[in-house]
Amino acid sequence: MRVDSGSTRLVSRPNQCEARGVMSSTKSPGVDAGSPGLEALPSPVPVEGPASIPPQPTPPPEPVEGRLDERIARKAQPTMRATEFTARETEPTADESRPRATRVAEGAMLGGVCTGLARHLGLPVMLIRAAFVALLIFQFLGVIAYGALWLLLPAEQTAAAPGIEAASRKGFRDQSKPRRRVDWGMLVALVAFGSGLLWLVQSSGFGISQQLFWPVAFACAGAALVWRQADTEQQKRWRAEAGGKAWLAPFVARGGWPALVRVIVGLGLVGAAFGIVFAQEGHIDQLPEVMAMTTLALAGLAVVMAPWLHRSRTALNQARADKVRADARADMAAHLHDSVLQTLAMIQRQADDPKVVQQLARRQERELRTWLYGEELPETTLKAALTTVAAEVEDERGVPVEVVVVGDCETSDAVQALVRAAREAMVNAAKHSGADQIDVYAEVDDEHIEVFVRDRGSGFDLDTVGDDRMGVKGSILDRMERHGGKAGVRSSPGEGTEVRLEIMR
Amino acid sequence: MSTPAPQPAQPGVAGESTASETEARTGPYTVVVVDDHAMFRSGVKAEIGRAVAVVGEAADAETAIKVILASRPDVVLLDVHLPGGGGVEVLRKVHESDPDQKFLALSVSDAAEDVIGVIRAGARGYVTKSINGTELVDAIRRVAEGDAVFSPRLAGFVLDAFSGSIDVATVDEDLDRLSQREREVLRLIARGYAYKEVAKELFISIKTVETHVSSVLRKLQLSNRHQLTRWATDRRLV
Repeated sequence: MRVDSGSTRLVSRPNQCEARGVMSSTKSPGVDAGSPGLEALPSPVPVEGPASIPPQPTPPPEPVEGRLDERIARKAQPTMRATEFTARETEPTADESRPRATRVAEGAMLGGVCTGLARHLGLPVMLIRAAFVALLIFQFLGVIAYGALWLLLPAEQTAAAPGIEAASRKGFRDQSKPRRRVDWGMLVALVAFGSGLLWLVQSSGFGISQQLFWPVAFACAGAALVWRQADTEQQKRWRAEAGGKAWLAPFVARGGWPALVRVIVGLGLVGAAFGIVFAQEGHIDQLPEVMAMTTLALAGLAVVMAPWLHRSRTALNQARADKVRADARADMAAHLHDSVLQTLAMIQRQADDPKVVQQLARRQERELRTWLYGEELPETTLKAALTTVAAEVEDERGVPVEVVVVGDCETSDAVQALVRAAREAMVNAAKHSGADQIDVYAEVDDEHIEVFVRDRGSGFDLDTVGDDRMGVKGSILDRMERHGGKAGVRSSPGEGTEVRLEIMR
Repeated sequence: MSTPAPQPAQPGVAGESTASETEARTGPYTVVVVDDHAMFRSGVKAEIGRAVAVVGEAADAETAIKVILASRPDVVLLDVHLPGGGGVEVLRKVHESDPDQKFLALSVSDAAEDVIGVIRAGARGYVTKSINGTELVDAIRRVAEGDAVFSPRLAGFVLDAFSGSIDVATVDEDLDRLSQREREVLRLIARGYAYKEVAKELFISIKTVETHVSSVLRKLQLSNRHQLTRWATDRRLV
């Protein structure tokens, strides 16, 4: 009865795969061919016959040179798919490879405009900054351009792994960003430099005429205050940074009376600017002046309204993007739940075999963890390769393999040889040591790569074992030497074994 | 904000540890378990209940703060993801009124941001939830005695974060780099060595290993090293 229901479910699986294939039809061909979803589903169960998994999974195929790449690529695909997802989420329509121009908070000096532009254009940040400063000389064009870009460029949105994003959304995580240390010395220097530059430009005659300077300055300050309203992203952060300091709130808090005060002060400043011009120009001399004032006032109003218009447009786009994202998420969640359900069903069926249960649970845990909290690894790095082979050994042998990698590098022939040797060491440890966990540690520095594979199992006496340990000799030591690397084994009975692999980059 | 927890001036130094030993431990260490999954809480209680005394539990940040301040346990087992602002919020609020409260962070997430974040907020150690009962009891004991608990993964993160050159002239150089010895200790921990094995490997005492690890923890919490915060947020975005 149970078996029956199990196999019907299995039979119906192809449909699910198909559905998913449709969902992600924009995937690269390699992804479809590998059908990572199918692999991800914990079902090495044969469709025909009683549905039960073999207690011991198929013996590990001896690693054949050249197949590793393929396997790595295949395994890395779920990761790749995830990358693709986030890429599509953040910019559903963009097709260019260069990053979209955004304001980048990371490494920003003011609003992150230069950093964002530099990233977009692929130029050094300093160059862009210098360009803006240079533009200052011409009627403060730099400031105006910077201000406009600050307002128009969307703030950079970084998509985290779904688990992390969900936890953030629900307030399960600490949200406040690490506060940037305010360097007062630098701030003073900046202000001094700014006013000096202003002075220079003004006195050199390139600047705005004295008569207009103060009105313009006032108007700019006023407009800036009003515009600040619109920049909600920034405000959220600032409020978090204010950390409940009351005196900061009027400047950074959003909504309520502080906002009102800001609008009034802003409009007041704009009005004052007009007033000054008006006073300077004389009393009731000419009508055209008044007409011009009216036009300016209307323009001022437009300035005040623009942010809200701009925001609502952005919000609309955002909502559209959110919809796409939500759909994709729902599909993924469905798939995940399905795979978890399958695992749970199989665990119930195999409840009397602790080894199999543990293996199933471990595999499902790894899969979920990678999806929820995992980092997106490009599939051609040492880290990805090691993680992949570790997962394979874990699945084949049922021994948890813990991988820690410090630094990373692209794969090359030598690196692949290293990974294969490491795999062999893991398999050996899983097969012979009897340890309940294997630790793999890799460290990449400028010159060389080191990998340690360690178990706390039975260990052996190197002298007595000698040459008959062909696995160690042939596939680890010799392989490393062929690729100009080194390998060493340290072991003593009862102390466990550690294999050390080293290769030059 | 994330003001690092005030640290004992010299972690691991004799005075502190003997103090906790001479306190005449009449009973087992007291522990509060904070986690929003009831199933996990009862699981942990069943696993460690024989070795330590679980004196309280909480499912969200607000309750946790109350329970911890009321029961003052030796160690708080703290989940990183928690309704009401996460574990970091609990750390911050509790340390405001009791800077000496010791926390051991537990999480199902291995994300660097979370791990480094909770340590910098003042936790004395970090372990993943898949840890077995014996190891967990061991970690609790270690934290209760004032030492730090580094899993291989945390050690890897720290090595990664402190690697490379420092590109800004920093105020406190000592805080911003690991000594040769500390690096060696961390590398061994990352390779899966227990403190005892590290001590044997480096021909030093376990106490010295603990001192090194505590010092790394202090650096991790207090260093303003520019890269440290950036690193944690950056590394996910390849």
